[in-house]
Amino acid sequence: MPERARARAEADRMKILVERGEPFLIPGGETGCLLIHGFPGAPEEMRWLGNHLGRQGFTALGIRLFGHATHPKDLIRARKQDWMADVEDGYHILRGACERVILVGLSLGGALALTMASRLPVAGVVAMAAPYRLPSLAERLRPILPALSLVWRYRVPTEPSDWQDKEAEALNVHYPVQPVRAIAEVHDLIACMRASLPQIQAPALLIYSKGDGAVPFEQGNIILEQVGSERKELVLLEHSGHNLPRDAEREQVFDLVAGFARHVEEGTA
Amino acid sequence: MSRLMPGAEPFYLPSGPVGCLLTHGFTASPQEVRELGEHLADQGHSVLGVRLAGHGTRLEDMARSRWQDWMASVEDGYHWLRGTCETIFAMGLSTGGVLSLLLSRTQELAGVVSMATPIELPPLPAVRLLAPFLRPLGLLFPSYPKGPPDWYEPQAGAARVAYDAYPLRAVPEFALLARRFERALPEIHVPVLLIHSRQDGFIPPSHPERILAHLGSSEKQLAWVDGSNHIITCDAARQQVFALASAFVQRQLKNSPGPQ
Repeated sequence: MPERARARAEADRMKILVERGEPFLIPGGETGCLLIHGFPGAPEEMRWLGNHLGRQGFTALGIRLFGHATHPKDLIRARKQDWMADVEDGYHILRGACERVILVGLSLGGALALTMASRLPVAGVVAMAAPYRLPSLAERLRPILPALSLVWRYRVPTEPSDWQDKEAEALNVHYPVQPVRAIAEVHDLIACMRASLPQIQAPALLIYSKGDGAVPFEQGNIILEQVGSERKELVLLEHSGHNLPRDAEREQVFDLVAGFARHVEEGTA
Repeated sequence: MSRLMPGAEPFYLPSGPVGCLLTHGFTASPQEVRELGEHLADQGHSVLGVRLAGHGTRLEDMARSRWQDWMASVEDGYHWLRGTCETIFAMGLSTGGVLSLLLSRTQELAGVVSMATPIELPPLPAVRLLAPFLRPLGLLFPSYPKGPPDWYEPQAGAARVAYDAYPLRAVPEFALLARRFERALPEIHVPVLLIHSRQDGFIPPSHPERILAHLGSSEKQLAWVDGSNHIITCDAARQQVFALASAFVQRQLKNSPGPQ
C-alpha cells in the first residue's frame, strides 16, 4: 500500500537517532559502569564492553553525547558543557539502580570520565586512549577554529586507519567527518581534564595501546603521573588501534575493565 | 561543581517490567514530573524521567538547542528503559506531551499520557505577533522574562526547578515541533489519555480538544481536572492527575493480550 508506505517513510524521518546509534542500559548488580563513547562516535562503540560487563554481573549504561549519532550538523552546536551534563545525567540515572558508579570512557569519553571523576562522587574511573593534548596544529589553531568553522564546517579525516580488526572497523558507528567547531570544544574539554587530574581521588585505570594512531600512548604516562588518586595503574596494549573496546585486543580490555570493577566493588582497587 | 541546576537531575526508579518514560516541558526540568514518577513507582512500575537537552542547566544552553535535540533526549530515555522493560508507556507535560506522542510514531508504546499539551504556540498576542521574527529577535534579546507565577498551590510553584525566562531562540523551535505534531496527529494510533485543567491559564481548552479530534487513535480520551493551572503534575490537583495516569496504565495492561 503506497499510502501506508509513505506514512512509514515519514515516520522513519521522525526518528532522530541513526540506526545503531541508540544508548543502552544493561541491568546487573549494585556496581554500575557508565560508558562514554568517543568523538565523533556513538554508544555502539561501548556496547560490546557493556555486554561483557553485564555478563559479569555489573550494570552498564551507555550514554549518547550531545550532537552524536544523529547528524554531523548537530555536533556543530555542541559545547563541552553539554557533554559534561550528559555524564551527569548518566550518573543520576545509574544511581537509581546502583550503589556505586564507575566512569568508563574512550578517547574524548575518557577525558570526560577523568574530568567528571573530579566532580562526581564516583567509585572509580577508567580512561581508554584518553588524549592529554590534541596534535600541535589543532592546539595552535584553537583560537581561530570557531571563525574558521563558518567557512570550513567539516574536516574529513585523512589519517590512515589504525584498526587491526577490519571486520570490527566496518561495524563501528561514527560520523565520517569531524565538525571543525566541535574540535575547539574537544580541545577545551581536554584543558578542563588537565586541570581536574590532581583532584581525582577515586581508583583509576588507564589503558593505552602502542598501535594507537590517534593518541600516542606516551600521553598516558603524563596522565598517570598527574592523577591525584593513590591507586592508579596504566596498562599498555601492543597492537590495537585507537578504538580499544572494539579492536583486536578488546577481550583483554573487557577483562581489564571487569577486573577493575570487581576490585572497586570489593574495595580492593 | 555541577552543570545541572540542583533538583534538575534526571531519575530512574527501577521496578517491574512495565516502564513509564516521563518527559517534562519547555524551559522546565525532570523535577516537574518527579512526583508523578514516584507515584507510578509506588504502583510497581519502572520509571525513567529524562532531561531534555538544553534544559535544567543554563538558559544559553537551551538557546543553542533545537527541537530535534529534545526529541533525541526522549529517544535516549526510551532505549534506556527498553533495557529492562517489555512494555513502555510515555507520559509528558506540555511540550513533553507533544514529544511523547511523536515518540509513538517511531517506537513501540503501550500508551501515551499527554498532559496540558498544546497544539500550537500559546495564544499570547506578543508571541503570535512576533512569531515570524523570533529567530532574528533571539540574537538581539536572548531571553524573554516569564510573567508572574500563577499557581493554585504557591508552595508547589516555589519548589519549581526551571528557567525563570524563555530563551527567545527556542520559541520558533517549539513552533516547528508543533507544526510537525499537528501534521502527524492522524497517523498516531497508540492509545492516548489527554489530561487538561479547566483552569489552565496558558494553554486553553481548545488545544486538547483539537488534539483529541485529530488523533488517529481509536482509543483516545480527554480527562479534565479542576483546581490547577498549567503545570498539572505539580499544582494543587496533581493527585487527580496521578490517579488518572495510573488508572490508564492499569486499564491498558488489562486490555492488552501480551504478558502482564
